[in-house]
Amino acid sequence: MVTSPSPAIFASNLTLTLGSGDSAVEILRGIDLIVPQGQTLALLGPSGSGKSSLMAVLSGLERASSGALNVAGANFAALSEDGLAQARRGRIGIVLQAFHLLPTMTAQENVATPMELAGMDDAWTRAAAELEAVGLGHRLTHYPAQLSGGEQQRVAIARATAPRPPLLFADEPTGNLDATTGAGIVDLLFARCAETQATLIIITHDPALASACERVITLGDGQIASDSTAA
Amino acid sequence: MTTAIPWPVAWQIARRDLNARFRGLRLLLVCLFLGVGTLAAIGTLTGAIEQELAIRGRAMLGGDLQVEVWQRPASAREMAAFIALGKVSSGTRMQAMVSAGELAAPVELKAVDQNWPLVDRLRLTDGREVGAPPADSAWLGEGAAGRLALKPGDDLTIGGQKLKVAGIIAEEPDRLSEGFALGPVVIVTEGFPARAGLTQPGAMYRSKYRIALPPGRDAAALQASLEKQFPAGGLTIRERSKAAPGAERFVSRMGEFLVLVGLAALVIAGIGIGGGVASYLEARRGSIATLKVLGATSGDIARIYLIQIAAAALVGSLGGLAAGVAVTPLLGKALGSLLPVSPGFVFDPAALLRASAYGLLVALIFAAPPLLGARHFPAMALMRARVSPLGKARRDALLPVGLGMAAIAALALLTAAQPVVTAWFLGGAVVVLGLLGLLGQAIRWLAARLPRPRDPLLRAALANLHRPGAQTGALVTALGFGLSAFVLLAAVQTSLDRNIAARVPQRAPDYFVLDVPRDRVGAFTASVAAIAPKAIVRTVPALRGAILAYGPPAAMIRVADLKEIPEEAWPLRGERGLTYSDDVPQGNALTAGKWWSKGYSGPPLVSIDEKLAEVLDLKLGDQLTIGVLGVERTATIASFRRIDWDSMGFNYVLVFSPNAIADAPHNLAATIDLGPSQAIAGQAKGELLRALVRGFPSSSVIEVGGVLREARDLLSQVSTAILSAASVAVLAGIAVLLGAIAAARASRLYDNVILRVLGASQRQLLLLQLAEYGALALLLAGVALALGSATAWLVIVQLFEFEWLPDWTIVLSVLGAGLVLVIVFALAGSIPLLRARPAQALREL
Repeated sequence: MVTSPSPAIFASNLTLTLGSGDSAVEILRGIDLIVPQGQTLALLGPSGSGKSSLMAVLSGLERASSGALNVAGANFAALSEDGLAQARRGRIGIVLQAFHLLPTMTAQENVATPMELAGMDDAWTRAAAELEAVGLGHRLTHYPAQLSGGEQQRVAIARATAPRPPLLFADEPTGNLDATTGAGIVDLLFARCAETQATLIIITHDPALASACERVITLGDGQIASDSTAA
Repeated sequence: MTTAIPWPVAWQIARRDLNARFRGLRLLLVCLFLGVGTLAAIGTLTGAIEQELAIRGRAMLGGDLQVEVWQRPASAREMAAFIALGKVSSGTRMQAMVSAGELAAPVELKAVDQNWPLVDRLRLTDGREVGAPPADSAWLGEGAAGRLALKPGDDLTIGGQKLKVAGIIAEEPDRLSEGFALGPVVIVTEGFPARAGLTQPGAMYRSKYRIALPPGRDAAALQASLEKQFPAGGLTIRERSKAAPGAERFVSRMGEFLVLVGLAALVIAGIGIGGGVASYLEARRGSIATLKVLGATSGDIARIYLIQIAAAALVGSLGGLAAGVAVTPLLGKALGSLLPVSPGFVFDPAALLRASAYGLLVALIFAAPPLLGARHFPAMALMRARVSPLGKARRDALLPVGLGMAAIAALALLTAAQPVVTAWFLGGAVVVLGLLGLLGQAIRWLAARLPRPRDPLLRAALANLHRPGAQTGALVTALGFGLSAFVLLAAVQTSLDRNIAARVPQRAPDYFVLDVPRDRVGAFTASVAAIAPKAIVRTVPALRGAILAYGPPAAMIRVADLKEIPEEAWPLRGERGLTYSDDVPQGNALTAGKWWSKGYSGPPLVSIDEKLAEVLDLKLGDQLTIGVLGVERTATIASFRRIDWDSMGFNYVLVFSPNAIADAPHNLAATIDLGPSQAIAGQAKGELLRALVRGFPSSSVIEVGGVLREARDLLSQVSTAILSAASVAVLAGIAVLLGAIAAARASRLYDNVILRVLGASQRQLLLLQLAEYGALALLLAGVALALGSATAWLVIVQLFEFEWLPDWTIVLSVLGAGLVLVIVFALAGSIPLLRARPAQALREL
């Protein structure tokens, strides 16, 4: 008997409510989602539809208010805040719209940090190799403030992919970049994912970028409005 | 269960951050530098002086042992015992009057033998190093030479005997062990006082014997052996390690008090440390959240930032220690004559260790809450707007804060010579800081509920006092404490000064006269009346004696058998003044028992100060044995008295019935009160002095004015020392203020830019800052005035039992200067925010 590999993400009836009492706001309302390993998935939807919140919950940055969630083999519903942080180590990479590099660290230090946190011995050399792979081998000792927006996002991608995580999230990775640079970043992101065979989930407003993914989910008012997979 | 990253990895990540952003911890550095530096300087200075006193003990004492006895020379048996121990130098000390031509002055007469000084040499102003003066000549203290306009070769008269000035004293080797002097010193040969009739039976003089022991002899053991050998002789014996106990006690108490003031300053600095760490971590929200996104747990975050804060705290503390050691010689110079010896450059590891321990503990107490709060900072902060400052984590912080506070209290109490005073000070500081903290919260609460002013700038200024993240509470606590200390010191100092200047001379006599012969009281009174007819002269019999035993007749306690004499039982230490009287002394009130009738001839009786009776648990009917001129006398306690020590006249702890001690040889002591309305001119005062010197050559006059001047000088220097230590509290308060401005920089910049976009001018924005800090300064002024004055009132009225006479002009000026300093620093700190260009700032925000 052949068993199919377990999915990268399994979510059932996920909800997220912020605040309490009269001021409670329902951000996510009953999300059911299965993402197979290696899939590229785009999350679309208008502002306030819950895209970023869904990504936060799926990546363990936020705990769901209710529902079942299994990510990269870990039961996220049962983990504490610190347990979620440990679960991310080496398993989940995140690229954010505003890059969020550590401003006090060089490019190489930024890329090495998640691997050091995960206890990898060769973090330093792997960071250099990863930066080389994203075309920034000559910028190892540069601080974020000394890099252009595109270069900063490349560092962020290198930082996310360097530990070789099976699951990669990108929250509007081209939102802060011009069209040409943005296109280059998207190519790089897909290329790195293909190389590492990672599952990629991208939040975007850009239909063109979404169309490059195997699957497109559109959110509306905290619920999945549509879910389509490319033929 | 989660595991934290190993310390080396945490250090690696922390170090990267520190390399680039160490500046963010400047406030922590400055506050610890100030606080630890102050404590290190105080500790080093105290240690240096104590060390100097210990090293120079033998020179200061003029030997290894000193034996002192009042009103008699040592007996042949005593002398034989001294000589058996080593080389002996003998001499006498007494008050005397010196005259030269038309001038006269009271001096401390010191008669020395040819062996003096046993250690070191006397230095004269002409550079000579000498011993005892030649026969019929004297070494003159500079004060006496100046007052009597004398120079080497001139003549002077003491007790009717002429002497030649052989030299002016530059440095007297055993000055410190001589104790408090009521005039400049004049050194003469050993036989001179007897020739001048100054050591007749009953005269108030002390015989001193210094003994130089052969090497290797244990001075303390020999002191104990002598005390055992001569328990009733009234001998006061000191050994070289206790050469100047008064000076040692003064330095140790003063040092301890200054350490407490410094500790209070460090606590203020602690508020700055808390604010600095909070704003540092606040500025790292993004980094902390990013690290969490990358997989850092709350434990990892705590480790990484603990390392950074500890590194900064160590650097600040080490800087403070270095500065503290470096400024000690300068401090020594600044405090000048207040210090018994001038300290050199000293490295006192214990003092430095204590200062850094205090610094690091204070850092722990104040840094723990924001650090533990940062642990719980969510990764999601990267995706949501900034809504609130870091969590307080109050419960998590309870353990480290509680442990830190307990450790500080334990350290302060264990190293204190007066743990009770220290405990009161610590308790008081906690109460004051707590009150200020509550007041800060109350001000914030009130500002939030006041009606909104129509003026937009005033409205913004008011809002800044209570907005989320407003530092009003911390500022009121930090600046309020420092400014209250200013008010307290100014009010206490001016009150004491005015009490001494105005009230004491009113109550105190103008002159004390010692050794008025018993048979010449009438002539003495007549001499005074001839020059100052309205002067009031009071005379009392004056004897010296030591309490040897006390208690119920069947179970009397020998003082010599006491292991330790309690602080409050000071009359048991050495010899004290004694008197006898038919009547209850003026200014005394009987609190128990009965006074003896005039001409009483029954068993000898004594009346005792009620406080001493309480300390020694004495009852009416108990007995007291005293030693007078080597003879033991026992009297029954007939009454207890309350003494009004403020009356500044003759106040005796022990007053006997005349038949108890009147047969012992003695003279009288007198007070001369010229009275405020009958004050006589300076010229007439000089005439009175000369008449007394001529008519009563063996008597000595002490001018109260001179003693008061010295007391006021000392008081002023002590105040300066305390004010300097308290200034650190204000400096720390200002550091907290600048830290608060820096912490609120982002939100202030945002406000200013938006107001500029809406059309506000730079001048209006400056007015906004002025309105905000002006309102805060006004509040602080009220707080400091109320708190500082109330504490000062407690000190003056309750502790010193003086009148409340502060000089409000000075108090308000000191407070005003402090407030101006606060506003100037506040505005100076805000100027960079006013200069921000809207377009550029909007891009960066």
